[in-house]
Amino acid sequence: MQYLLNGLPIGATYALIALGYSLIYASAGVLNWAQGDMAMLGAYLAYTLNRIVGLGFLPSMLAAMACAALVGTLVERGVLRPLRRRASPSINLIIATLGVAIIARNLALIVWGPDPQLFPSPVGSRIVSVGSLNLLPQDLLIVGVAIFLMLLLQYFLRFTREGKALRAVAQDRMAASLMGIVVERSDSVAFATSAALGAAAGILIAPLFFVTFNMGAVIGIKGFVAAVVGGLGNIPGAIAGGFVLGLTEAVAGGKISSGYRDAISFGVLILVLWLRPSGLFSRVNRAKV
Amino acid sequence: MTLLRKISVFALVGILSLSMSGLYGCGGASQTKVLKIGVVGPETGGSAQLGQGQHQGVQLACDEINAANAAGGWKLEPYFEDDAGDPTQSASATNKLIQQSNVNVLIASINSSCTLADMVVTERAGIPQITAGSTGASITEQGDKWIFRTAVNDELQANALVDYAVKTLGIKKASTLTAADSYGQSGATLLKAAAEKAGLNLVVTATYNGGDKDFKPQLLSMKEKGTEAIFLWGIYTEAALIANQARTLGINGQLFGASGMAAAKLIELGQGAVEGMLLTQSFLPDSPDAKVKDFVVAYKQKYNQDPIPHAAQAYDSVYILADAVKRANSNAPQALRDAIMNTSGLQLVTGSPKFDEKGNDVGKSVLITKIEKGKFVLVTKVISGQ
Amino acid sequence: MLDRMRGLPWWKIAGLALVLLLPLAVSNRYYLHVLNLVGIYSLVVIGLNLLSGYTGQVSMGQAGFFGVGAYVSALLMMRLNVPFVVAVSAATLVSALCGVVIGIPAMRLSGPYLVMATVGFGEIMRLIMVNWVPVTMGAAGLTGIPLPSFLGMQISSERGFYYLICAVLYLATLEALRLSNSKVGRTFLAIREDDLAAGAMGVPTDRYKVAAFAISAAYAGIAGALYGSFAGVASPDNFTFDVSVLLLCMSVVGGNRTIYGALVGALALTVFSEALRFLQGYRLIVYGAILLATVIFMPQGLSGLAPAVAQVFRRMHFPGHKGQNGVAGDKGETCR
Repeated sequence: MQYLLNGLPIGATYALIALGYSLIYASAGVLNWAQGDMAMLGAYLAYTLNRIVGLGFLPSMLAAMACAALVGTLVERGVLRPLRRRASPSINLIIATLGVAIIARNLALIVWGPDPQLFPSPVGSRIVSVGSLNLLPQDLLIVGVAIFLMLLLQYFLRFTREGKALRAVAQDRMAASLMGIVVERSDSVAFATSAALGAAAGILIAPLFFVTFNMGAVIGIKGFVAAVVGGLGNIPGAIAGGFVLGLTEAVAGGKISSGYRDAISFGVLILVLWLRPSGLFSRVNRAKV
Repeated sequence: MTLLRKISVFALVGILSLSMSGLYGCGGASQTKVLKIGVVGPETGGSAQLGQGQHQGVQLACDEINAANAAGGWKLEPYFEDDAGDPTQSASATNKLIQQSNVNVLIASINSSCTLADMVVTERAGIPQITAGSTGASITEQGDKWIFRTAVNDELQANALVDYAVKTLGIKKASTLTAADSYGQSGATLLKAAAEKAGLNLVVTATYNGGDKDFKPQLLSMKEKGTEAIFLWGIYTEAALIANQARTLGINGQLFGASGMAAAKLIELGQGAVEGMLLTQSFLPDSPDAKVKDFVVAYKQKYNQDPIPHAAQAYDSVYILADAVKRANSNAPQALRDAIMNTSGLQLVTGSPKFDEKGNDVGKSVLITKIEKGKFVLVTKVISGQ
Repeated sequence: MLDRMRGLPWWKIAGLALVLLLPLAVSNRYYLHVLNLVGIYSLVVIGLNLLSGYTGQVSMGQAGFFGVGAYVSALLMMRLNVPFVVAVSAATLVSALCGVVIGIPAMRLSGPYLVMATVGFGEIMRLIMVNWVPVTMGAAGLTGIPLPSFLGMQISSERGFYYLICAVLYLATLEALRLSNSKVGRTFLAIREDDLAAGAMGVPTDRYKVAAFAISAAYAGIAGALYGSFAGVASPDNFTFDVSVLLLCMSVVGGNRTIYGALVGALALTVFSEALRFLQGYRLIVYGAILLATVIFMPQGLSGLAPAVAQVFRRMHFPGHKGQNGVAGDKGETCR
């Protein structure tokens, strides 16, 4: 049971990152390699604001998310749009975001150095015991904030104009533009939102796992796996995929083998893709795959 | 375009770019007494802290020795290259240092896989190589007569830790949690052997991948099997995380660690969770030893951070080289190699180096230290061979 | 169609001479070492181009096949005393088999799903290398891999490796060109352009996709086997995800729709990587920027510039001809 409990905050984090991937994939049709690095950026910015400048946790987090959103927009404008205009093959788009990821990671290495940084939790680190199960307050914070953000996202997508535009673009880009929706603007919004979500994820786990310049790499891959498991482009699927992956890892790592833990995750992934290529939670739509 | 045309275009481009990129002065035989030291390490990538520590340690030592003219009139010139922890790049970097910069000796590298790759190059070129960071057992088992290892002895550490656990603390059931890289796997093997010898029951032997953040699955299975102690073998980032998560899960057993993680940063990151942890190291920043104190002060002054063990070991390696070149009064490879082999009587930060016929430094002292009130405190000292 | 000219023109002879005499002119072993690495990487990237550029199946797991080739060849030579040529052939076969194994689940996937599957495969391979300690020696890897020896001679110098790698690369390139111009190659293109339509026309697309994986794996395998003997050591650190990414970058930067784009890409990125060493910490930032720039401004990769270069060349030599647009008869070029 503790295994499952452990998997929850991890799953929530994966879910946030997975949401970022799915959002961008749904609306812009692109795989954003730098998604994980948004988490890293967010964590470092929040760390700097909170520990060095002295702002409170919440303002630091919000400011960092806003900065990340800005970076996301810049990436979309500076990298994606030129490529779109030239009708580049999708493989080039992947490489482009990869270039962004490499730059971001090494920039962080230069600015903040190679040492991991400690980011104390805003809710303290006293262990909470419920029966035989143990938790950290931060774990609760992660799950709580993640769920809040997911709800916020749903509200955004359903009830705001930008959100609805995003969904329209995701459904049919051509039709949306014919209806007068500025498609590029939607892309920017998608990137900005994904970046902010990613940053939030990074900030939330920073107190647990320290802030390092390559924290984005592993989280990025895992988040991507989660998005794919849930069905890339499928928003609720991303959330589900995140939790499924987090829980699977928690249980497999402890009960089966720690060395092959990642192999098991990937194995499961390949299995899912083979049997149900559009993801566990997507409507089976073979033509799209 | 036909194939040959393509090849010629390719060859032309190749030669042009290589000639442009290779505009380093080819070193002729210099008349002045200069010892060129090539340094290869991971200055970017996952192990960047270690590589940068090595870089800084070497630079500090070179500066000190040159300022004090402590190498018998020889000037030390370090040349640094980054291998990013990738053995292919490491071999290229080594090649470059030997061919372009004409180094006389190499300090390379930190990851065992990189060191092994570099050894192929240095052996073919006949240049002495010191590794100040790699602890993999196979490094000195290759029959390569150009390699020396000043990194601290893992076997000694594993034995010391296990003996202490069994004899002093009376621990019967323990677990190991080691990194799935050459350092960690080496540690895992040694710990297992030491445990067998000492009669310690290892209930769980688990591993983790570098960069992993979540260790609760492994820790939980250890808790379920009733482990009284956990032996860790990796670097401080993961160690601090493990300690934190172990305490969160309610595991209050004794934690043990080795020199790879014994740095001030471990305490900074681990805080209360690492209190009481026992570690072996060759180097204690708070040691009353004068040599250590001087080194720490100088390092802090120059780099504004505490030295990590790799920095200390790299620093000492340069001093060994300075001593060797002074005695040999030559920077020719064979002479240097023999001089290094005959090193004795030096008192350095991490011990008094003495090399066996395989190139291992058997003069290192191993300290068992404990983290008390946020500082490393000496518990006992284990000297090689005792 | 510009094609086989009667008698060899001057530049063909010059090119051949350049390649063959290069090691004698360049005595710097470091340069030769870098060129050898380029050659080995080119082999892998040729396979990758066939898979990704021609058949449209993006793979980010080639490092896995590369590693299989290296380990199988090395282990056969070291544990079972198998001679070099046999070991390399066996390694290529085993690697190709792995290609089939990953090709089967992959044939139903496309886009990011396919990318993910290949990433997963590469990682699984690497984890096996790390954890299957009794066979693979774990994270420290294999050491003392024997040098290539056949027909009574042993290759131990950079120069020797240069010729060996050139020979293998030459044969491999010829074969790749032959393949790309054959029915198989055209089928690959058809699959890339419109998978569904090809299937509707009766093409057994699944079989060809698996074949593409197997072929690319074979190329990576033989390159891996060469690499093992070249470097003398092989460890999981040589075959990480980062290496797969590097290979993909070489493919894209060089131009993944042509065979010789592989050579260009491998050369360009390896040279950049080495030449930018003096930038130290900033090296990788510049590297990332170069990637971005290439992809944005040269989407067909460097070899995509070839038609333009050839055009200039032609105009220089035949100033009267306004004639042909683009380069005709380019064996690797595709209809855009």
